[in-house]
Amino acid sequence: MIQDLLNALTLGSIYLLFALGMALVWGTIGILNFAHGSIFMFATFISYLIAERIVLPLPVILVIAAAVGAILSVAVQVLAFQPIMRRAKNQHSAELQILIGGIGIAAVPIAIAQRATLSNPFGLGNSSFQVQIYEIGDVRVSNIMIMILFAGLVLGGGLAWWIKVSRQGLALRAIGVNDEVASIMGINKQRLALATMALGGALAGLAGALLTVYLSAITPESGDALLIKAFAAIVLGGLGSIAGVIAGSLVLALSETLVLTHTSGTWVNAVSFGLIFLILVVRPQGIFGRKNVVRT
Amino acid sequence: MNFFSTNIILVENTLIVILLALSIQIPLRLGVFSFAAIGYYAIGAYSSAILMLEFGWGSWEAMFVATVFATVVAYLLGLVLARLTGLYLGMATIAFDLILVVIVLNGGSLTGGPVGIFGVLGSIELWHLAAAVIIVLALLTLTERGKLARRFDAVREDPQLASSMGIDVVSYRRLSFLISGALGGLAGAFAINLRTTISPESIGFGLVVLGLTVIIVGGQASWVGAVIGACIFVWLPKLLDFVGDWEEIIYGMVVVLAAIFIPGGIVGLFLEAKHRRQSKRNRSVVEQVSALLAGEDEHESRSAAVNEGAISDR
Repeated sequence: MIQDLLNALTLGSIYLLFALGMALVWGTIGILNFAHGSIFMFATFISYLIAERIVLPLPVILVIAAAVGAILSVAVQVLAFQPIMRRAKNQHSAELQILIGGIGIAAVPIAIAQRATLSNPFGLGNSSFQVQIYEIGDVRVSNIMIMILFAGLVLGGGLAWWIKVSRQGLALRAIGVNDEVASIMGINKQRLALATMALGGALAGLAGALLTVYLSAITPESGDALLIKAFAAIVLGGLGSIAGVIAGSLVLALSETLVLTHTSGTWVNAVSFGLIFLILVVRPQGIFGRKNVVRT
Repeated sequence: MNFFSTNIILVENTLIVILLALSIQIPLRLGVFSFAAIGYYAIGAYSSAILMLEFGWGSWEAMFVATVFATVVAYLLGLVLARLTGLYLGMATIAFDLILVVIVLNGGSLTGGPVGIFGVLGSIELWHLAAAVIIVLALLTLTERGKLARRFDAVREDPQLASSMGIDVVSYRRLSFLISGALGGLAGAFAINLRTTISPESIGFGLVVLGLTVIIVGGQASWVGAVIGACIFVWLPKLLDFVGDWEEIIYGMVVVLAAIFIPGGIVGLFLEAKHRRQSKRNRSVVEQVSALLAGEDEHESRSAAVNEGAISDR
């Protein structure tokens, strides 16, 4: 029981790291980045290529993965999303074109990684880091689990605090509410958007490397499933609330663990898809969300 | 004839992709951002296959029931998701597609699990499919002319304005789910009859990307866009060998470039060019008329009439 709870919390922390970046970008600059999942995967893939050749300590690998994630994310923003926003005729069509563009972008790194690995799973086993398992009573905890929990706790809490307290956080929230008024108040939306995308990408890369060490390998396609799960976590908590993302990720991980321990395991993916459906139908603004009234 | 018989599979694929793409396009033309077409396709294909294999039904009865079933599911989905728009609707419908994949994976012997269903031998031939596509295109042409077309445009571009003009926006949106369900179900039923197999892999995210690619590159405004897109993306890998190797990468890039540079697709480019030519001509007509006519009233009514002509031609 405690073991299941601990596993669920670890899984929830991974979901959180991944979903945080996505929620931050979506809730503030209004970009639902469909390429987030493939950035997550490709950042891990690049670190895998590097780690194959040189034996590196785990912290260095994590930094590389986060840096690659940030670079990819910024590249997507500059090369695709900014031109779309510049050319789109209104906010609504820009949103949809960005989603479509993101789906297109997402296909490219996945296809490259599939070709390079022949669709086999790849891992980060070739590092100086050794997974160690400690047994406390009948609960088994590994050092990577502790790192994941720590990263989820610190980054989740830290980001929530930063958004609430800092000037940049205030500026980001202001853009999220009304970007025109925000830019009149002297907020440089372009620059802030790039920084937010970079942060989101770095979190995705970090989540990718941590998950890969935890599971010992991931497949090139794993980003897509995670993307839908993160979306479920975000709508569950309510867009625009970091506390909501934290709650959503944990609820999702707990319910998935529950399904996993009580069924054969093939229904696990239905949990997140079902949750998206249920929440959007019953309470579209999410648990923590504000009501946004739109007629017709 | 020789060309035709060697490429019969590609012709089949083109026609099926046209139906599937239309199933995505109709909601888009009404401003409903739904990817559920892939789900309707899956329902059409799987229920036809099950009816034919497990219950020994004929192709046509199975196709009819499967299409009706997909349409009913689509209508119910439309009712359930009525409150959602934009991105939320898009993601909810993607979730719907993926739930169906999980369901067929867990369907045991009925759906064949991860292997899928194979050996469905129907009595349907290519010309039946071709006839169905032509009928569908003819019916859709009716929605692209005159009053109905303008209503579609109004519901998409400005739902508030549309409902203030007395257009029942909610009914039009439900109608879009209904048509989309029928077209998607039909596409699936034809696909299983002509290809004889269906598997969870073939109704996954890849099909969402293909359908979207076809519509985005071809164009959303008219069925012509779906036809152009389907022809391009079914025949491209055949015509250019290197495209086959790098298919996913090239398709991905094409979607991004289309989303950035030609959001209206290839059809959108033509419409834009036509519109620009026309508005230039109309402007010169207005100038001539105003130069010729001295009477204030007459001038006004004439130029108004010309302007109206320009709008309804669009």
